[in-house]
Parts: sequence; structure tokens; C-alpha cells
Amino acid sequence: MIEAQNLTKTYGAKTAVNDITFTVRPGIVTGFLGPNGAGKSTTMRMIVGLDRPTHGSVTVNGRHYADHSSPLHEVGALLDAKAVHTGRSAENHLLALAATHSIPKRRVHEVIELTGLQSVARKRVGGFSLGMGQRLGIAAALLGDPQTLILDEPINGLDPEGVRWVRSLVRSLAAEGRTVLLSSHLMSEMAVTADHLIVLGKGRVIADAAVADVIGGAARASVRVRSPQASVLASTLASPDVTVTHVEHDLLTVTGLDAGAVGDLAARSGIALHELTPMNASLEEAYLQLTNDDVEYRTGSSARDLEVTR
Amino acid sequence: MTTETLKPASQAPRLRMPSAASTNRVRFPGILRSEAIKLRSLRSTVWSYAVLVLISLGLAALMAATLASSIEGQVPAEAQTAIVMQVSSFPVALGQLVAAVLGVLFIAGEYGTGMIRSTLSSVPRRLPVLWAKSLVLFATTFLVGLVSTVGAYLIGSPLLAASDVAAPLTDPDVLRAVVGGALYLALIAVFALGVGTVVRSSAGGIAVVLGIILILPTVLQLIPADWAANMIPYLLSDAGLGGLGIESGTPGGLEPWQQLLVVLGWVVASLSAGAILMKRRDA
Repeated sequence: MIEAQNLTKTYGAKTAVNDITFTVRPGIVTGFLGPNGAGKSTTMRMIVGLDRPTHGSVTVNGRHYADHSSPLHEVGALLDAKAVHTGRSAENHLLALAATHSIPKRRVHEVIELTGLQSVARKRVGGFSLGMGQRLGIAAALLGDPQTLILDEPINGLDPEGVRWVRSLVRSLAAEGRTVLLSSHLMSEMAVTADHLIVLGKGRVIADAAVADVIGGAARASVRVRSPQASVLASTLASPDVTVTHVEHDLLTVTGLDAGAVGDLAARSGIALHELTPMNASLEEAYLQLTNDDVEYRTGSSARDLEVTR
Repeated sequence: MTTETLKPASQAPRLRMPSAASTNRVRFPGILRSEAIKLRSLRSTVWSYAVLVLISLGLAALMAATLASSIEGQVPAEAQTAIVMQVSSFPVALGQLVAAVLGVLFIAGEYGTGMIRSTLSSVPRRLPVLWAKSLVLFATTFLVGLVSTVGAYLIGSPLLAASDVAAPLTDPDVLRAVVGGALYLALIAVFALGVGTVVRSSAGGIAVVLGIILILPTVLQLIPADWAANMIPYLLSDAGLGGLGIESGTPGGLEPWQQLLVVLGWVVASLSAGAILMKRRDA
């Protein structure tokens, strides 16, 4: 259980995290989302005491991280895959971390095996690929068999098998009743891995809800319509509550009407349809809508234009 | 939410730790062991210590040979001791630069690579890390320093004996040069560790420490004022090397124990500054 209360962090004039309050519950995977600079990493660093909050506080299982007698057993964190001395071997890196908690050597070899690093464990970390660096970071996070896991972009640079492995790992850890906080920019992965989402934007919590609610609440479902008379259909459908987008010359995306309503209108006007597909909003769409709104209100930037031209 | 294909049992992550969690607490002996692993698992430290020993032995041989060839006739006993002292501890004047670089790198290397975030996550109270680093660095540098100075004595003595210059290792002055030289190297390393903690950058830390050791004495000598001359004996390197028989006849005339106190003062100052900043700053 991670509890943040009015957590605030300012660097000089810049506010990275602005008075946020949230709870990360055990037994589920909580996804931590937000655009670059939204304050995710800063928040994660404050949880493990690397950064000191300007105001407010954050506790893990009721205590500040530094007040736990066995911090690595309490929280395993992958905050930055580069938090390793490049001149040291992976094995020695883990042995040095394990020694602080008198964690036996056996456990070090266990996490090396678990993360598939056996063949490179004695090589210097400086020569590691991004994916191997991530595996080492995950190995370090698992070292203390922690009750709470905090993983910042853990699948960054992993191969598909590694991505799948991380997914099943965090899901099984959560199933054991542990607390898992996970950040990722890959929405499709987040949609299948996380149960709950906390979305940050400009240092504030802009959503804190179950994944299904975020998708359902933020984005409107749309309908894909293919018709040889697409332009005629578009003008037939047009109304203030309906948005029609030309995707191709014969393909429209309609929001504001369900598939049945589109089909009925087309039939009434005698327009032939070649395809009529209801589209569920994806997490990515929901996320972009949430965060674009946030960006728009604050800076008036053209993030939404970018999305349209994409 | 899609259903997940479970991995076969043999490949399923083994997450439980075999030993009881209550025994795996952060304790100072563990932190000491951690820092010892860190020090010996970097090639740069191993090489630096090897270089320290090698230049000490080489310089001692060179100096003993040069001195032996320039000596004519019988040398008084007191002067013999002074010569042996110099040969044994002269390498320290160069070795201190290696010790200084080592001390800075031991902590600044962690800041430079990001390792410090792993370190401080595992020991979030932070200061025990600095104390453990100081102790490990002090002990290791002292031992390697002792190998260097005793080795310098052992290499220099036969060369000097050819010119009938000799003093036993057990002579109090020779012993002071040998043990004091190793002690000074160890203290310089810890001083540099404190500076490295403050500066958090390898290049910056090395520049500051070498500036204090090498440039500050020269600058003070160039200032034509009494206060500048009076400060010289209290400089880190002058106080440190003064007691070793290298800088003969220091004007301030501090006793060896006072010189040791001066060096300790520099070490305490840099470590305290490092500790305060390490505790206060974001990692």
C-alpha cells in the first residue's frame, strides 16, 4: 500500500508534482500514466526517498520508506535502468546491493536466473544493451522479495518475450497480494497489464480509476462506415452532435451515433454500405483525450492537431 | 483484460526468499561489506592501488640509487636515519595524488553513473553509506600504503647499505615515516571522498582536491605576507608530509602529533560537509 498525501515537489520555480493525493492498493496492478514531464518519475523517486517532497508526504505500508528497517524487503524499485556503475559486473552489482541487507548469495543467483542474465552476469554492465540493463534493474528490484514493486518503464527495450514475461511477473506478484505500481508509455501493454490507472498531467492527478472506467468514461465509441457514396453519407449524417471524419475516399469514422443509427439513416437515404463496424475506444485514445485536454487547458498547445494529422 | 497464458511451473518466477525476512535488515556490517565489494569490483580501483605500490617501489629504488652514488665518506648516524626516512616516505608525495583520485572516484563515480540511486534506495538513511565508504577506503588505502612504504624501505635499504647508510625499520623515526606515510595516504583518500561527496563529479572533485594539495601551497608561498607564510604549515599536504621527513625544517615547526591533528581537521571538515549535503540533497 502506497499512500501519497498532498505530495508536492518544486524545483526552483518549476512545479513537478502539484499537491497530489492517491493510494496504490495491494493485490492489483496499478498503472501510472502521463506525458513526459507529468511528474511520474519524480513521484516514484519521492516514494523511495531519493527526492524530498517540498510539501506533503508519501508512505509505504504506513511508514516513510527510510523508516523501514528492511527497505529492500518493503519496496523493490526499478526507477532508472542506468542506476548501475558501468564498470562493475551485473553479479557484483547485485552482490553489493544484497550485502546491505545481508541477503544471501543464493538469492542473488536466483534473481539472475529469474531475469535470464546467467550468460552475462560476469560481464561489465557498461556493455549491456538496453534490454539487458532493464533485466538487471528488475533483478535488483526483486532482490529483497519486496511487498511493493515500483517499476518505471520496465518493458522499455525488452524483446516481445521479455515484455510477456514482465506482464506475467507483475500480474502474479499482484495476485499474491503485493502492491505493484507500473509506468509505461505503451498503452496496449498497459491495457492488458494494469487493473487500475492513475493518470498524471502537469503534476496533477487527472484520472484515478479502474482501466475499464478510464476507457469508458473518457473516450466516445465510434463507428467505421465504408460506402461508395461516402460524401453523400457524410452530409446525411451531419448534425451538431455528430463528428464525421473522412479516413479514405470511401471510409468514414463517425462519433456521436451508434452503428444502428448510422445504418438506419443510410437505409432511409438509399445509400449502400459496404462496412459498418462499431469501434470501441482504446486506452490509447482515452489517454490521449485525457492528457490532451490537460495540456490544452494549461498551455494552449496544439497537441490535438498533432493527433489529427497523425 | 485478456487472460494470461501461465508459464510452465518449472519456469514460473520463484519469488519467495528462502530465509526469513526478519534477518535481512539493513545493518552497518552489511553496508561495510557492500562497500568493500564495490571497491574491489572495479578495475579502476584495483589498477590505481597497483599503480600506487609500483610507483612507490620504483621511486624508492631510483632515489636510493641516486643518493647512494652521491654519498662520499662516512655519514653520521642521525643523517643516515634521515636518509632512510626520506627514501621510505618520498613515494608518498606522489602516491597522495593516486589516493586523492581514488577517494574522489569512490563516490563521484556513483553519482556519475547513477549507481548512487541504487545505493541510497537500499540504504535510505544515507549517512551510513558515507561512514562505511570512509572506513573501507581508509582501511584499504592504509594497508596498500603500508605495503608501499615498507616495500620502499626494503628496496631502498640494500642500495643505501652499499654506501654504508642504514637504519633499522624499528627505529622510531623510520617507523614514523613508514606508518605515518601509509596513514597520510589513507587520510588523503578519505578527505578526497568528502570532497567528492560535496562536488558529486569526478572531474570537479579531482580538480578541487589536487588544487588543495598541489596548488594552494604554491599560491601561499607566492603571497609576500606574513599571514600567508604562517598558514603554510596548516595546509593539508605540508602538515601531512612534514612529519615524514620529506619537507625538512617547516617554518611553523609543528610537532608530528600537531601535524596529524591538522590533517585530521581537514578530513573532518570535508567529511562533515559531504555528510550534511548528502543528507539534505535530492539524489
